[in-house]
Amino acid sequence: MATIIDITEEKALEVKDFEFTYAGADAPSIKKLTMPIAKNSITALIGPSGCGKTTLLRSFNRMHDLYPGNEYAGEILFKNKNILTSKEDLINLRIQIGMIFQKPTAFPMSIFDNVAYGMRLQGIKNKIELQDRVEKALQDAAIWKEVKDRLKHDANGLSGGQQQRLCIARAVAVEPEVLLFDEPTSALDPISTAGIEELIVELRERVSIIIVTHNMQQAARVSDYTGFMYLGELIELGKTEELFVTPKEKLTEEYITGKFG
Amino acid sequence: MTHTQKRIVINRVVMTLSTLSAVIGIGFLLWILSVLVINGVDALSWSIFSEEGAPPGYEESGLKHALIGQLMIVGVATIVGVPLGILAGTYLSEYGQKSKLAETIRDISDIMMSAPSIVIGAFVYAIVVAPMGHFSGWAGSIALTIIMLPIILRTTDDMLQLVPSTLREAAFALGAPKYKVITQVVYRGAKAGILTGILLGVARVAGETAPLLFTSFNDNFLNTDMNEPMASLTVTMYNYATSPYEDWQKLGWAAAFILSMFILSLNILGRLFIMKKKS
Amino acid sequence: MNTTIDRLFANTTKIIALAILLIVAWIFATLLDHSMESLKAFGFDFITESKWAPNLEKFGALPAIYGSVISTFLAMILAVPLAIGVAIFLSELAPAKLKSPVGVSIELLAAIPSVIYGMWGLFYFVPIIRDVFGGIGISMLTAGIVLSIMILPFMAAVTRDAMNTTPDILKESAYALGGTKWDVIKDIVIPYAKAGIIGSFILALGRAIGETMAVTFVMGNVHKISIDLTAPATSIPVTLANEFTEADTDLYYSSLFELSLLLLIISFTIISVAKFYFLRRKRVA
Repeated sequence: MATIIDITEEKALEVKDFEFTYAGADAPSIKKLTMPIAKNSITALIGPSGCGKTTLLRSFNRMHDLYPGNEYAGEILFKNKNILTSKEDLINLRIQIGMIFQKPTAFPMSIFDNVAYGMRLQGIKNKIELQDRVEKALQDAAIWKEVKDRLKHDANGLSGGQQQRLCIARAVAVEPEVLLFDEPTSALDPISTAGIEELIVELRERVSIIIVTHNMQQAARVSDYTGFMYLGELIELGKTEELFVTPKEKLTEEYITGKFG
Repeated sequence: MTHTQKRIVINRVVMTLSTLSAVIGIGFLLWILSVLVINGVDALSWSIFSEEGAPPGYEESGLKHALIGQLMIVGVATIVGVPLGILAGTYLSEYGQKSKLAETIRDISDIMMSAPSIVIGAFVYAIVVAPMGHFSGWAGSIALTIIMLPIILRTTDDMLQLVPSTLREAAFALGAPKYKVITQVVYRGAKAGILTGILLGVARVAGETAPLLFTSFNDNFLNTDMNEPMASLTVTMYNYATSPYEDWQKLGWAAAFILSMFILSLNILGRLFIMKKKS
Repeated sequence: MNTTIDRLFANTTKIIALAILLIVAWIFATLLDHSMESLKAFGFDFITESKWAPNLEKFGALPAIYGSVISTFLAMILAVPLAIGVAIFLSELAPAKLKSPVGVSIELLAAIPSVIYGMWGLFYFVPIIRDVFGGIGISMLTAGIVLSIMILPFMAAVTRDAMNTTPDILKESAYALGGTKWDVIKDIVIPYAKAGIIGSFILALGRAIGETMAVTFVMGNVHKISIDLTAPATSIPVTLANEFTEADTDLYYSSLFELSLLLLIISFTIISVAKFYFLRRKRVA
């Protein structure tokens, strides 16, 4: 019943018969979901609140493991390995699959230390290497010019849009293969939002991106593929321009034309 | 070993240490609690409540004198301290608000809540006991009132500030004068919180020993004249526990048990009020 | 009519609120007034003199000050790591089923009067110290340990509360970069809650230094400065508790009042530092 197109490119992730149940819940929040994620492209997840899109996103780096009692079933393949089974590899998994949150999350430390944090966790101590990579990451996140003279300042002094770019810089600094964006612009003004969207599109060159958004225009603007989720199921996955112009499923059509949601 | 492996090992070590310290800390506290319950229950009997103090070795001895003394000293402190504290807290929240004076009173009260209580005892000794020429129950009550005041004042202040200002505005819009708005609307809205503050305030002073040592002093027999030295559970407990007589020490444990149960009940009751308010 | 009552009510509350400030000023003034004789007799020597001999009318506060400082220091050294451990356990480690009951018990234990801790110390801890370290068991060390157990619940509860103020999303961000639990605690949670944690430790220090009953039972009230931690000692509040009702001369009394004043000033200063530098009240908007 779901319409899921074949992806011809190489896949970054493959979700197979995936189920997720929150601690204490009777029914799974995600039911038997199967979905390919194309490499070096942007996949947007849309759907009404509570459809499970953020829940799915947080499964890719196993954020749910931070809270006891949550249960996974099925498979999520990353580099031909099911990430749901390996228990101690969580840290390596999260180094390879980064995440950007709804709100900017500048750590209580300087701008430089924020960006260097992930690299230091990996044991990089060499000052010159750190400096080079911090500069590069900040340039990649298009914020270098604004902060290069105040790298030692507290990161919390930056504006919301700047902080979100800083978080992106922090995430790309460790050179992940996949970046998860969880409604990254929901706390930002329109100008900052446009800047972040531009940045996401540029990042596609180097990482595979999955973005959850409540804003359909945003999905249409930035993504290559769009998945529409409803009540824990993937209803339709298609090329973005096709899904928005000629949706195959009735539910998808109703949602994107604003009949519910 | 890679850096990440090293981090995982360090993490395990620290988490084990943390659990261990929790076990040690909680273990000590359980130890104290079990000692209190075992010795206390063992020492409890009807004569504890029906008999007064007696010389060591005496069969018929109890804590009636200390229980009644304690109730009177704490009771008077509560009767005086609670209304004064509520009125002063009312000033801070409803009149003084963010003024310099109100903020200063808040700061000083916060500090007084943690100030050494034995110093309050010394102060009351100087202004009450010395001029009167003798220890008295009144002096003990005054010391406890001074300790209770900042607690009641600050909780009242906090609780009144939680009452939404729209509620006040609605009452003002009906033409009610401010004192009526406060006494009939604001107090009602903050009832549970203020009550909790009172319970915690009473619980706090009921466990005070140091400020009573040289104010109400002690009396081994029943006395209901507040003008005279008066027994309290806490001072009696101290005297009995440090005495070399086993039967007195046993009475000390009984006093410790009764007092702790009283204070714990007040605390639990206070929590229940707040929880009921929240749900 | 209404305006008269209104004004009366307003003024009554104001006068009572002002009375708090007056009482505090009165306490300082009274203690200072009663300390005058001792201040005149000993001057600054009062706090540097180590001899406390009531029979010779000689009063030096150094042993009591030394005892207060060392016993509180010992208590902090023992309680701080334990409190952090308990707080980490309660906020980050404990399974959900344990979190709430253990947390509430710790808070309730903070409400148990200090005289109970002292009594437990005397009957159960003094014998252990005696068996392990020799001596009579009544000592500076015992006082420090009992004091640390007494302030532990308060410190652990407040540290946990401070740690819990760290937003989940901030912690998740650090986990998302591959941090371990400990990485997240030391790099995110502790720096974020730093002011609250340090403030609560200093506040606990301020309370510990003025604590009377937990230590009076187990310290011995011996005015002698000794490096040996297993020897009996005294502190300012212990001296006050033991000697106030025994003072038989004006100078003796006055010296005890000066000790009280000294203790009040020390606690006031420490608590003020905690309050004003670290625990600035969040204003209700």
